[in-house]
Amino acid sequence: MPPSFIKDPAGNAGDKKATIYLHIPFCKSKCHYCSFNSYAGRTNEIGDYFKALNSQMRDMAAQPWSQNRSFFSLYIGGGTPTICDSALLADLIKNCLRLFHFTDHPEITVETNPNTISTEKLYSLVQTGANRLSIGVQSFSNSLLLSLGRSHTADEAKHAFTMARQAGFTNISMDLMYGLPGQTLQEWRHSLEIATSLDPEHLSLYELMVEEGTPMAAKIKGGGAFLPGEDDVADMEELTASLLAAKGLKRYEISNFAKPVFTSQHNIHYWQNLSWIGMGAGATGSLSGIRMTNVPDPATYIENIRNKQNPYSEMECLCRQSRFRETVIMGLRMIEGIRIDDLEKRFAMGLEAYYGDTLKELTEQKLLEISNGFLRLTAAALTVANQVLARLV
Amino acid sequence: MPQDTIRNFSIIAHIDHGKSTLSDRLIQKCGMVTDRQFKDQLLDSMDIERERGITIKSQTICLPYKAKDGKLYSLNLVDTPGHVDFSYEVSRALSSCEGALLLIDAAQGVEAQTLANLYLAMDYDLEIIPVINKIDLPSADPESVAMQIEEDLGLEAEHIQLCSAKTGEGVDDILEAIVKYLPPPKGDADAPLQALIFDANYDSFRGTIISCRIINGRIKAGDTMLFMANKISYKVDEVGLFGLVRQPRKELRAGEVGYILAGIKTVTDTKPGDTITLKDAPASEPLPGFKEIQQVVFSSIYPISTDEYENLASAMEKLTLNDASLTYQKDSSTALGFGFRCGFLGLLHLEVIQERLEREFDIPLILTVPSVCYHFHLEDGTMKEIDNPAYFPDPSTISRTEEPFIKATIHIPERYMGSVMTLCMERRGENTHYHYPMPGRIEFTCEVPLAEVIYDFYDRLKSITQGYGSFDYKLIDYRKSDLVKLDILVNGERVDALSQLVYRANARQRGLHACERLKEEIPRQMFKIAIQGAIGGTIISRTTIAALRKDVTAKCYGGDISRKRKLLEKQKAGKKRMKTVGNVDIPQKAFLAVLKSEER
Repeated sequence: MPPSFIKDPAGNAGDKKATIYLHIPFCKSKCHYCSFNSYAGRTNEIGDYFKALNSQMRDMAAQPWSQNRSFFSLYIGGGTPTICDSALLADLIKNCLRLFHFTDHPEITVETNPNTISTEKLYSLVQTGANRLSIGVQSFSNSLLLSLGRSHTADEAKHAFTMARQAGFTNISMDLMYGLPGQTLQEWRHSLEIATSLDPEHLSLYELMVEEGTPMAAKIKGGGAFLPGEDDVADMEELTASLLAAKGLKRYEISNFAKPVFTSQHNIHYWQNLSWIGMGAGATGSLSGIRMTNVPDPATYIENIRNKQNPYSEMECLCRQSRFRETVIMGLRMIEGIRIDDLEKRFAMGLEAYYGDTLKELTEQKLLEISNGFLRLTAAALTVANQVLARLV
Repeated sequence: MPQDTIRNFSIIAHIDHGKSTLSDRLIQKCGMVTDRQFKDQLLDSMDIERERGITIKSQTICLPYKAKDGKLYSLNLVDTPGHVDFSYEVSRALSSCEGALLLIDAAQGVEAQTLANLYLAMDYDLEIIPVINKIDLPSADPESVAMQIEEDLGLEAEHIQLCSAKTGEGVDDILEAIVKYLPPPKGDADAPLQALIFDANYDSFRGTIISCRIINGRIKAGDTMLFMANKISYKVDEVGLFGLVRQPRKELRAGEVGYILAGIKTVTDTKPGDTITLKDAPASEPLPGFKEIQQVVFSSIYPISTDEYENLASAMEKLTLNDASLTYQKDSSTALGFGFRCGFLGLLHLEVIQERLEREFDIPLILTVPSVCYHFHLEDGTMKEIDNPAYFPDPSTISRTEEPFIKATIHIPERYMGSVMTLCMERRGENTHYHYPMPGRIEFTCEVPLAEVIYDFYDRLKSITQGYGSFDYKLIDYRKSDLVKLDILVNGERVDALSQLVYRANARQRGLHACERLKEEIPRQMFKIAIQGAIGGTIISRTTIAALRKDVTAKCYGGDISRKRKLLEKQKAGKKRMKTVGNVDIPQKAFLAVLKSEER
C-alpha cells in the first residue's frame, strides 16, 4: 500500500527537490562491527528481492508526491549492492531513472566493497549512468582488516580503486575507519597516506562505534580487544585534519572530505533534513516531514510487497518545533553550517527567538558562530560537537 | 478466638537466609492464596525491597491453620526488617511475640546478625524454633549447622526443623512445630488495656494503620484510646486482623495481633514501642522498652533542579507518613539552593529514602556527604550538637569535641581475623575483643567511631572477608575527638555539599580520597577542572580532570537521523541530572561517592 495519505502533492517551497535511496541488504560476510541491516548467506533471495524493489519503485513513482518532484540523486547502498549481478543492478538503475523525474545530470552513487567487483561489473554500472562509486575500504592494514572481519585485503582494495578508474569512474569515494582495537596513530597515518596516494575525490572517515549485539562488542566486553583511549582517538582526528588539508581534500562535514565540487549531493540533502524516498528492506525515507522505515527482513519485505501490503515497520511524524531542532542539529554537522534565512523561512520560526539564551551562551563560549548568514560550529567545537548539539536538540 | 489457639511469632534471620521465601510459603500453605496468585515474596511489597531482597517496612499477617490435633489456630506472623539500621524496629516486633523461628541457611551457617537477633529474641524471653533452610542446595550441610545450633547457640536440637522454603519441603512440619512448641499468649483480657505499637503505616483513605499486639485488656470501635508516651488520645474507628487485606473485627483482645484505625493523620503520634490504653480506664503503667527512635546519620537532600523544591517538600511529607524514622527540616546551601536536612537510621536507610524519592516521586536529587552528630563544647561553656558541616564552629572557639561511638559486632571465619583487626585499627577502633562461638569462627567486638563506619566500612569489610564477614552495631556513647572541616573546591569554588567533618589525623588521606573519587565520577568537560581538598585556607590535596577532547558521532545519514537525535536527547536528559556548580556539571553519584570505596 503506497503512502497516499501524504497530502502535499505540490511540495513546499524548497522541498520540490528530492532524492532516492535504494537498499540492497545482502553481503558476502558480516563484518564484526556491523549492525546495519545486512545479511550474509542469503544470496538466494536476491532475485525475488529485486522484483519486490522494482515493484515498490513503480508504486512510489505513481504517487502524486513523487510526480510533483524532481530527483537529483540516486544512491544504491547496502549491504553490498555489487554482490548482485550486473544485469539486475543495471535494470534497477534504468527502471528508477525511467519511473521518476530526474534532473539532467543526477548524481548516481553505488556502494561497493573491494572483492565483489570486476572490470565488467564496473563498466556495466558506468554504462547505465552510475557516476559515483563509494568503496568500503575501512583500512589498509591487513591485520586490522582481519580483526574487523572484512573479507578482503589491502591490495584488493587498491586494485579495486584502480579498476574503478579504468572503468571510467571520475568520482570515487573511500570509507576508512579509525579508533579501531589495536590501531595506532602510525597505522592510521599509513592508511590515510595510501588512500590519498590513490587520489580519490572523496573520503568518508568514521570512528568505530561499537554497537551492542555485534561480535566486536562481545569481544571488547570479554577483554579480547581494547579500544584506543579518548586522547589517542583525538590525536587521530587531529592528524586527519592536517594530513588531508595538505592533499586538497577539504572537510565539509564532520566525517566527510572532498575535493572542490565533489561533495556528496545526496548526503548534503540528508544533512539539510529534506525529503527523500527510501526503498528496499530496512530503508528509511522522509517525505515532507513524515519519516518511514520499511521492514528490515528481506523475506518479510518481499512478502509484503508481493501481497500488496504496507512494507513499513516504523513511522515518525515530528511536530514543527522538533523538526526545526532536528534540522539544526543535522545541519550543524556541515562545516559550512546552516543558512539561517532558509531555515527560518522553511519553518516560519526565528532561530534566535527560539533558542534564546542557549544560543547566546554557546556563541559566547565560542562553540557556535554566526557569520555571513550562516550558523555553524566553530573549529574548536567540531571534536566535541555532541556537547553542543545536545543543548540544541 | 480462644487465647490458647493463638500463636504470635517472628522469623529472625540473616539477610538472604530466606526469610521472605519462607513467609510466602507459610502464607501459601495456610491456603490464603492460590498458587496462581502466589507471587514471590508477598510480604515485601515495595519494589526496592524486592530488588534488594530485604524487608524495610514490616508487615504482619494472620494465618488460619488447622493443626493435626483438629483445632483451628490463628498464627500471627509478625514480619521484621532484616538490616542493622532497623534493629529498634526489630525489637518492637519481637516483643509482640511469644516465639520466633530462627532461620539459618544450611550452607552458610550462623552469621553475626543471626546471633544479634537471637540475643534480642532471648532478651524478650521468646521461645525459639531453629529452622535450617535451603536444604535443597548442593552445598547444604544441615548436620554441622545443627551442631552449631546445639553447641554454640545452646538451643535444643530436638526442636530443629529442616526445610527448603523454595521447594516447600518441611514447611508443614514447621507449622506443626509452631503450634506445638510455641506457647500461647498470656495476658488478661479483663485487665486494663495495654497494647504495644510495633509498626504504623499510612493509608491515604483511613489515616494511620497501627499494628499492635494486645498484651492485656481489649479494645473495640468507639473506645477512646490514649497513647501513653505521647499523651494523645483518639477515638477508635475500626479494629481488625491482618489478612492479605484488613479484616475488621468487633474487638481485639489480649493475645491478639491486629490493627487499629482512628483517622490519625500525623504518623509521628504513633511511635513504635508506645503503649495504647483506654482513656477512661487507663493502665497504671506503660509496657517497658519504649525508646525514641534515634537518627544517627544526617545528610541534606536537594532537588537537582531548584524549581522542584515544592515537589520535594510534598514528597518528603508523604514519605514520612509511612516512615516515622525519617526526620527532616528545611536547609539551604549556596551551591544547591533550598532543600532538607534529614536524619536517617543508617546509610542503608538513607539510600532507600533516596531511591524511593526518585522512583515514587520522580525527583532527581542530590544528597550531601552524610555526617554523624558531633558535640562541640565551646569556650563559653555551651555545647552544640552539630550534624551539618556548614555549622562547624570557628575552631578557635572550640574547647573540646566529642563524637558518637558504636560497639561493632563482627562475625568472621577465623582466617580473616588479621585483616579485620587491621581494618578496625585503621578506623580508630578501641577495646577489641574476640571469642570463638564455634571452632573456626570468630566473633569480634570493637568500639569504633560511628563516623568511621558510615565511611565505607561495611563495603571494605565485605571486600576483605570476601563476603563472609557480617556486621551489626549499636550506639554506645560519645567520646573525645579532634575534628577539622574538609572542604572541596571545584575550579576554585567551594562546594558546600561536599564538605565533611573529619578526624584531624585522617584529614589529608580523606582529602586525597575525595579528590580521587570525584575525578572518577565527574565526566570530562569542555575545560580543565581542578579539584582541591582544603582545610581552612590550606590546600591539602589536588587532582585535575583534563578537558574533554572528543564527543562526536562520526556517521550520520538518512536512516540514522531518528536514532542519533534520540541519543542526543538522552545526552541532554543526562545533563539535566547533573548539578551545575560554577560552570562544572557534577553528577548525582559524585556526592555520595566521596564516602565510598572505589567501585569495581
